[in-house]
Amino acid sequence: MSVYITSTGHYLPGEPIDNDRIEEVLGQINGKPSRLKRRILQSNGIHTRHYAIDQDHNTLISNSEMAARAGQVCLDQSYLSARQVKMLSAATSQGDLVLPGFGSMVQAELGLSDIELHTSHGICSSGMMALKAAYTSLKAGEQPNALVIASELASRLFKATRYEAAGDEVDFNAEFLRWMLSDGAGAMLLEARPRGQCFRIDWIRSFSHADAYPVCMSVGLPTSANRLQSWQDFPTYAEAEAAGALLIRQDVRLLENIVKLGVDGCLRLIDEGLIDIPKVDHLLCHYSSHYFRSRIFDMLQQAGAAIPEEKWYTNLYTRGNTGCASIFIMLDEFRRTQPWQAGQTILCMVPESGRFNNVYMQLTVVCEQG
Amino acid sequence: MEQKAMEQKVMEQKVTTETGQACLQGLMRTWFEFERQLGRVPVIQRLERGQFTREDYRRLLLNLRQQVVEGARWITRCASSFDRDFADVRSEVIGHAKDEHRDYEILEQDYVAAGGDLAEIQQAQRNAGTEALHAFLMYRASQPNPVDLIGAMWIIEGLGQKMASDWAERVDQATDGDGSYTRFMRYHGENDDDHLDKLYGLIDRVCQSTEAQQSIIRTARVVARLYALQLEEVDHHG
Repeated sequence: MSVYITSTGHYLPGEPIDNDRIEEVLGQINGKPSRLKRRILQSNGIHTRHYAIDQDHNTLISNSEMAARAGQVCLDQSYLSARQVKMLSAATSQGDLVLPGFGSMVQAELGLSDIELHTSHGICSSGMMALKAAYTSLKAGEQPNALVIASELASRLFKATRYEAAGDEVDFNAEFLRWMLSDGAGAMLLEARPRGQCFRIDWIRSFSHADAYPVCMSVGLPTSANRLQSWQDFPTYAEAEAAGALLIRQDVRLLENIVKLGVDGCLRLIDEGLIDIPKVDHLLCHYSSHYFRSRIFDMLQQAGAAIPEEKWYTNLYTRGNTGCASIFIMLDEFRRTQPWQAGQTILCMVPESGRFNNVYMQLTVVCEQG
Repeated sequence: MEQKAMEQKVMEQKVTTETGQACLQGLMRTWFEFERQLGRVPVIQRLERGQFTREDYRRLLLNLRQQVVEGARWITRCASSFDRDFADVRSEVIGHAKDEHRDYEILEQDYVAAGGDLAEIQQAQRNAGTEALHAFLMYRASQPNPVDLIGAMWIIEGLGQKMASDWAERVDQATDGDGSYTRFMRYHGENDDDHLDKLYGLIDRVCQSTEAQQSIIRTARVVARLYALQLEEVDHHG
């Protein structure tokens, strides 16, 4: 049985925020402008992004509300009403609540009744894991359709007050993501039948390497961790925060591994015969930063597996890096604005640096018969 | 960043033939797999996490020394096994052997600078992994025209890069070092940059058939596994 993406949608909160206005919204830490900001923005190439918080740090829309809006936009463009949706598969890095699962909150927000529910947890790859869970459910004949939503509200973690609560000095690894991540949600509707011109999912495959690499991106580790001490090990949450254990951080020294592992996965799939490089018409790759685009491109090129630059599509630079929602927002904008046609092959790639999980997906554009 | 120099070399498109490129793809995958194997070795995990003592470092050097000493032997044996049709390859390999055949002396000095006893490292036995690695390399190097050893050099030179660009700094950071006892790791990498460059040049030259490609990759895999075994043995070796 084949599975098709028959609709997509996205939601980005508020107006686009350009590089000069980031600190207006997130705030200056200890009243001082960041010294790292320019350097990190130069390397990631992002010009505008969206935040769900305002400059007074009010949350204008919650994570589950954003997810629901994206889901609604997706359904509005589909042949299905909310009542006909049979499954919801949702992903986020951090929901509005610690518990229950994010999917439950999104379901309530969207008013979906009697559905099968799945929530996947992780960072950038969790959206693809949610997609795979839905895809396999349809493929197994368990459900005729599934709404898949990935949503992120990272900006709450980046409020200046959060850093101030964690001590006087902000380390590079803790500040790094402040200039990388932003908010937004994306959705896809999967059906076991095609609708007009749509995308057939040929396969979704992932390779996780957590056994071979240390944690690279995390929330929950204190600043001076010399072992895996969790934020929950502190007597009070106030002490955890003071120890920097609630900051989101990236071990930038380990980040280069993402390039190698991303290419490694491609070479494996080429070997398996799943990817045929000359047949790829469009590549949608969720790289977190422009810097990594050229690194991946160059390494693929020398390996003899280059995908010409004109086939690469991204909206990272204008929509920001929205973690697990990025590939969803990217595919939605691609579907609405780019020239694609029946028979074409679309390769999607989501490398996650959390503890190195890389997901790949191939789509074929098909046309409903009759 | 680790491996950066190695990857930059990759990008300069030094390998152009179809078999050469297929071989390079295989070698790259073997390297990535090797890095994951290293990430599972306890002593390397401790190094990555910064829970690595000067004693760990001395034990690592002690276990590396024998392979570094023997390294010069298999490379020279390898050079002598190339006949006149491979005279150009032989020249490259001889140059390589000449550059490295006394590297172990720097390693010994590092060991002493890190608080070790010179007699102890000089008298140390090969660990089980080193025995296997050395035996395999000498066996392959004794075959006529051992082009597959390009795969061995790929792994060992790549590791030299990794030591220079990543491990040396981690060792100093974890043990409060000032670079005075990580000279082998750092210096070794400087040389290996040039060696890798030459290796890329050799891939097209020696990989001209599917058989050659398969044997190069197979040897790279065996060497990677045995090298990882040598490092696993660091914690077992008395």
